[in-house]
Amino acid sequence: MSELSELIADRHILVCVGPGGVGKTTAAAALALRAADEGRRTIVCTIDPARRLAQSLGLQALDNTPRRIKVESTSSERRAPELWGMMLDMKSTFDDMILDMTSPERAQQIFANPFYQHISSTLAGTQEYMAMEKLWELHEEGRWELIVLDTPPTRSALDFLDAPKNVTDFLEGRFLRLLLWPYLKAGKTYLKAVNFGAKAFLKVATKITGSELLADVANFFMAFEGMYDTFKDRAKRVHELLAARRSGFVVVSAPQEASLREARYFVQRLGAEKMPLGGVVMNRTHTVPATPGLEDPRRLAERARAAGDGKVLAPALDLYASWREISLREEDAVKAALGDLTEVPVWRVPDMADDVHDVPSLRRVAEELLGPLPPMPPRKTEPRNTAEI
Amino acid sequence: MMDDLMPGSLVTARLAIVSGKGGVGKTTVAAALALAAARAGKQVLLVEVEQREGLAPLFGEKHIGYEETRLAPNVTGLSVVPDEALVEYLYLFYGIRYVGRVLKGSKAVDFATNIAPGLRDILLIGKLKEAERRRVAGAYAYDLIVLDAPPTGRLPRFLEAPRSVVELVHSGPIRTQAQGVLEMVTDPKRCQVVLVTLPEDMPVTETAEAKEALTKLGVSVGPVVVNGVFPGTFAPEDLAEVATDARAALTRDLERSGLSLGDGAIENLSLVAGAHARRTIHQHEAIEDVTRETGLPYLTLPFLFSPRMSKDEVGVLADALVEQGALAEGAEDA
Repeated sequence: MSELSELIADRHILVCVGPGGVGKTTAAAALALRAADEGRRTIVCTIDPARRLAQSLGLQALDNTPRRIKVESTSSERRAPELWGMMLDMKSTFDDMILDMTSPERAQQIFANPFYQHISSTLAGTQEYMAMEKLWELHEEGRWELIVLDTPPTRSALDFLDAPKNVTDFLEGRFLRLLLWPYLKAGKTYLKAVNFGAKAFLKVATKITGSELLADVANFFMAFEGMYDTFKDRAKRVHELLAARRSGFVVVSAPQEASLREARYFVQRLGAEKMPLGGVVMNRTHTVPATPGLEDPRRLAERARAAGDGKVLAPALDLYASWREISLREEDAVKAALGDLTEVPVWRVPDMADDVHDVPSLRRVAEELLGPLPPMPPRKTEPRNTAEI
Repeated sequence: MMDDLMPGSLVTARLAIVSGKGGVGKTTVAAALALAAARAGKQVLLVEVEQREGLAPLFGEKHIGYEETRLAPNVTGLSVVPDEALVEYLYLFYGIRYVGRVLKGSKAVDFATNIAPGLRDILLIGKLKEAERRRVAGAYAYDLIVLDAPPTGRLPRFLEAPRSVVELVHSGPIRTQAQGVLEMVTDPKRCQVVLVTLPEDMPVTETAEAKEALTKLGVSVGPVVVNGVFPGTFAPEDLAEVATDARAALTRDLERSGLSLGDGAIENLSLVAGAHARRTIHQHEAIEDVTRETGLPYLTLPFLFSPRMSKDEVGVLADALVEQGALAEGAEDA
């Protein structure tokens, strides 16, 4: 376990995971910006079509190609931070992967298959898997000291870690091949020789999907022959990369029960998979400290009202009471969900009155998480030049 | 027909699909909408998909299953699960009973739903269509069906499923089924999406994007529900001062009332009041953006300081919907 500052300064890969709607993309962008502000060449790869975030970083829209984000440096002594960004396009990543693995003719054959067109954009887990593939590509390119990966808003925490296995299992299609084999290779006469289960299954499948689709599927798997092992190898090396010492997972959560349940599950799952967990970013917390003199704010509010206080004091006291209750409740919820996992650091970001959608507000988030920007370390070597795209 | 729809009225179609960005309170709003309609005497079916298990606790229940379950007077709950829906589908349309049982719980459902991406969604929406068309003694069984739908990020794909299946599958009953579903979701008299947002920039922008995507799919979008709006704690004329200098306003009021507080207390009170006031101002701005960015009317629901959402909170929100005319009579039985 580690300090967040250590993750920012030394890791090569940070993966932000967590349930949807908790500010994962914002956390990823804030961490990447801080690393860049600290002088590391950093790229943030986001999934969510967070157009607003792209705009705020001065990009009309991010796309599947890394682009340098123009960010003013924090002071005149510092170089302009080298922050790069991109937004994963799952279909073109999938296409590129196939082009990479097979002959152009076979690739075209696969691209033209209606079944491929659908799985490459809709198969559950494809987006997660393609995010990991993109991570590998960025790592291989070797241009970035730090890669921050935002992950898709998963329905459940399970989806992200299981995605490669689900997708490769599907592509291996052991089950499908078993059932489709007679249908394909020898026509329907062969069905006699197949066991009853498969026959009944095919009958139902044909009824549900129509026979043309089954033919498309069969053609897809024939064209895919031999590529499965490559997919499997790639999934394996991405897994190794994620498990490496210089990688780190940051679980992003909010202090509400449902999100915390997911966060806890994620923390435990990462532990079970021996994945390097950095810690938990707790977004949108409301911390209202206990205050001497304000032990019973509601009674004070009544007294203020009785004394004819004007219009601000009594409502302010009531508000203090309400937010204080929320603060205590959130602390209890965090303690209940993560309290026994004593070795897991939790970093809090208070709910900000302003939306986080520009560079200064992202820097404020980073300051809440990490404190002020540390003084510039002496730079040993000149950074190598990187052509802007 | 569209011209007849009253602005602000959520329930103009018999199927209301409630969606929004993750974390905006879709499930609670879906429940509140169902409860509001039920209190107005309508028979309501409240549906969840993907086994999210979010609706049951709002009504003090442990679990909603594939069997329709009573949640409150006039409110029936249903959790649509793909393999149950497939088994039912096979039985209803093909009379296949045995294979259905074999299929259930086997890898075969994964097969069928992966082989025809979108099939899973067709089964889910198909079940809604069945409920929407169902008649008891000549009248519709349900006056209103409320779906607690997937978040807006995935909603277009969910509603696009029938079209994909029509493109992918060239013949057979599943195509017919998909076409029927497509007809329902693109008929504004039968189906309408209700988008829920928070009064903040990013969710409002995402709402506008979702509206655009849904309109492209030919799906009708009703008024936006802005959830979590702070109550008017401070008078409008005080808001700007509290936002910029809460300490000054508090000090003045303290002098006037003759109460005294320590400096630390005034400081923490100022912090809380100031942040709340600034947030309120941002909310007002974001609410103004709703109509400008989406071109849709909106309703608001109050922020509740409650520890968790339960029947009482859902009741409060249902009342708020009724007060704003969410249930104004729209399209009647076709």
